[in-house]
Amino acid sequence: MATENPNADGFGEVSRVRGIAFEYLSFGASVFGLVALGVLLVYVAIDAFDLANASPEWLLTYFLTLVVPFIVFCLYSANDRDVTRRALVALGGGLVAVAVLFSAIEALLVPIPRLNWQLAYLFVVAAPVTAYLAYVGSGGRVGAVGFGLLGRLVGGAALGLAVGTLFLVFDSLVWFLAYTLGVLPAVGLYAFGRVRESPRARTAATPVGLVGLTAAVFLRDVIATYPSDLIIYLWTIAVPVAAAGALLVADRRGRVAAAAVGGVPLAAATAGGFLAAGAGLPAPTVLLAIALTGVPTAVYVSRVVDGGEGLAGLGLPLLLAAGAIAGALIVEALGVPAPNPWLDASFLSEAPSRTPSEAGLYPAIVGSVIIIAMVAVLSFALGVGTSVFLEEYTPGTGPLGTLTRILQVNIANLAAVPSVVYGLLGLGLFANLLGLGIGTAVTAALTLSLLILPITIISAQEAIRSVPDDLRRGSDAMGATRWQTTKNVVLPEAMPGILTGTILALGRAIGETAPLIMIGAATTVFRAPDSLFSRFSAMPMQIYTWAGFPQADFRYGVVAAGVITLLIILVGMNGTAILLRNRAERGS
Amino acid sequence: MSNSTTDDSLITTEVQTDSNDGREAPAAGTAVAARDLDVFYGDEQAIDDVTMEIPEKRVTALIGPSGCGKSTFLRCINRMNDMIEICRVEGDVEFGGKNVYDPDVDPVALRRKIGMVFQKPNPFPKSIRDNVAYGLKIQDFDGDVDQRVEESLKGAALWDEVKDQLDSSGLELSGGQQQRLCIARAIAPDPEVILMDEPTSALDPVAASKIEDLIDDLAEEYTVIIVTHNMQQAARISDRTAVFLTGGELVEYDDTAKIFEDPEEQRVEDYITGKFG
Repeated sequence: MATENPNADGFGEVSRVRGIAFEYLSFGASVFGLVALGVLLVYVAIDAFDLANASPEWLLTYFLTLVVPFIVFCLYSANDRDVTRRALVALGGGLVAVAVLFSAIEALLVPIPRLNWQLAYLFVVAAPVTAYLAYVGSGGRVGAVGFGLLGRLVGGAALGLAVGTLFLVFDSLVWFLAYTLGVLPAVGLYAFGRVRESPRARTAATPVGLVGLTAAVFLRDVIATYPSDLIIYLWTIAVPVAAAGALLVADRRGRVAAAAVGGVPLAAATAGGFLAAGAGLPAPTVLLAIALTGVPTAVYVSRVVDGGEGLAGLGLPLLLAAGAIAGALIVEALGVPAPNPWLDASFLSEAPSRTPSEAGLYPAIVGSVIIIAMVAVLSFALGVGTSVFLEEYTPGTGPLGTLTRILQVNIANLAAVPSVVYGLLGLGLFANLLGLGIGTAVTAALTLSLLILPITIISAQEAIRSVPDDLRRGSDAMGATRWQTTKNVVLPEAMPGILTGTILALGRAIGETAPLIMIGAATTVFRAPDSLFSRFSAMPMQIYTWAGFPQADFRYGVVAAGVITLLIILVGMNGTAILLRNRAERGS
Repeated sequence: MSNSTTDDSLITTEVQTDSNDGREAPAAGTAVAARDLDVFYGDEQAIDDVTMEIPEKRVTALIGPSGCGKSTFLRCINRMNDMIEICRVEGDVEFGGKNVYDPDVDPVALRRKIGMVFQKPNPFPKSIRDNVAYGLKIQDFDGDVDQRVEESLKGAALWDEVKDQLDSSGLELSGGQQQRLCIARAIAPDPEVILMDEPTSALDPVAASKIEDLIDDLAEEYTVIIVTHNMQQAARISDRTAVFLTGGELVEYDDTAKIFEDPEEQRVEDYITGKFG
């Protein structure tokens, strides 16, 4: 019988050629795309930081003082013999491989412009290995503490600068009154209600706050004298932030620690603010940056000390600062020629100029930050509102259901409308019809919000739709109104998805140029905007303008510096948003 | 277990004499009554002229094959069928002496007096405390929320297992614990009636038996109406049983002991003994 078995020679074979071909084609295409983008970014970075003129000695010095200690820190934190061995092999072997390969290509094939093998090593081997080691190192307790501290330092400073920038255009006096008359009493009442278990105080908080805010708007022009900006920011932002920090610590570590956590950064911020005023720096921004850096850092340090684990990680910022200073001293002492980067402090803090070496991006950065802040608020509020309405409130059948479906289809179509057309709409609707002015910040913000609204709505709808119906029915059966179900169950559950969509859409908005040209945004402004209705320029506009200048220094150096700045701000913004989103995810 | 249940049903038989036809008010008083109730999904009739009175502070089981309309009947009581757009209800459902389908009845206010537990445990992705306090929160409860949370968790026989982790997520509990959390959530606002739609069908036997014990205790304070596929369960925990058969027809409604030992209708006997359904 066995000989008659048709499967005696096995089961035969099924061809997988097409699948395998598809797999490798897709893999090749994505790798090609990534490598092309990577090469572009490498060249942009080389131009922006003038690395082509960096001597090997200069690179070596900083490699030894900055990169090597950082790698050692990561390896110490990872505390894994295998990782250490692999890192050493990669760094050492990579050095030889890159040097040989690079020299061979240069000698035998083509000379590679503006790159030498040291730079190639930096970008191809050192940077990826360092990034990988940072990732591995952050898994250890020491590394986690170190990166956590570093993140709070950098993030706090960036947040302080951003808030300071926003107050360039938003009326700080209204904010002062609104905070004093509305926000503070409302929060106080609410906290009192929580502590004393008094629901009446809690319900009273909202009306009290609204009355205060309204009063603030009316009293703005009635009151004649105000404290200086520095005092306003100290009172309305630095003190509450410090108090919040102190409260966070007070629960676990008692009054003394709380006073230190709140008080020390507050004192430093106040001192910094007054010193900056004397030194001619923007005092409120310095105050905000120090306060928003100091308080989270102090809270974090206090928690780490409390936990007692990974204390060595607290030294990471010191290690990096010491490395940078040591590198600078050695370079100075040896007289090594240093590169002259286009992207430096003056590029970030100066106005544009006719000469490349004096050109700066400051007004455009301010313009972009203000616009993006307004776009974020507007598109988030409108997008979430519309998607909640479409998903939760409209019926699926009947005339209203048909209308909803028509709306749905059209929103999807709107996402495909070219941005130039949105620019025209903004010009017609906001600039001319509503009279908000041609090329003003508020016109730009409204236009860009409109542009990304379809994307925000569609992704928010998707997120809301993915909330299980079980939860809605559970809430409905408890006797919740539609609104209570939406607010308490659907939105918290959908929030991470909604935020993801908004983050992606904002990334698109910050880089848009065409609609800005259509609404008549200035290509170049020399002063940062000081109100919502002043002329402004945005980073992509400014970069685009520079790219058309005749001087090569503009086209290569300044444009590259602008691109890197734009990318860093974009990545920073998205990174912050993603961190917040992950926190929201874990909270639920 | 089975002995004690039989005792229970004997006692209740005693209390509810003369309730065989389901029309005269049982001695315990009527919590919910349906009169000439028809329910349609589009053109399809899901419930066909059902009239029954459900006694208060008793466990009433609704059994029957799939698609017989027993869950639909349950959802008529707290008007959860309103959420289904194609659903149409004719006839009366009386609760607290009022027809819940009267135009002046606010279904949201109605649902605050009727708790509901679903087939699949559906705790909110919130902390255990917030889950139980949910009904209190949406009703702007004025008293001591923490105390009410503790009482409800004790009432749902869950307090001892979760008292140290009230702030952790309700989703971290096991399936059976999640279902008891949902029961705690349903009883926290102190409803008069608790509806349960196959509350144990997604649970393992041990978790299910805990819920069954709990239902027994709940009947001391609440009127419990439970839909179940499991006839042993209906026999164990209920005082009264209603048998629905295909087409949404209420075939027989009587004391549980009578239904399972000596049903009037041949069709019911066939269904209970497994010859049909």
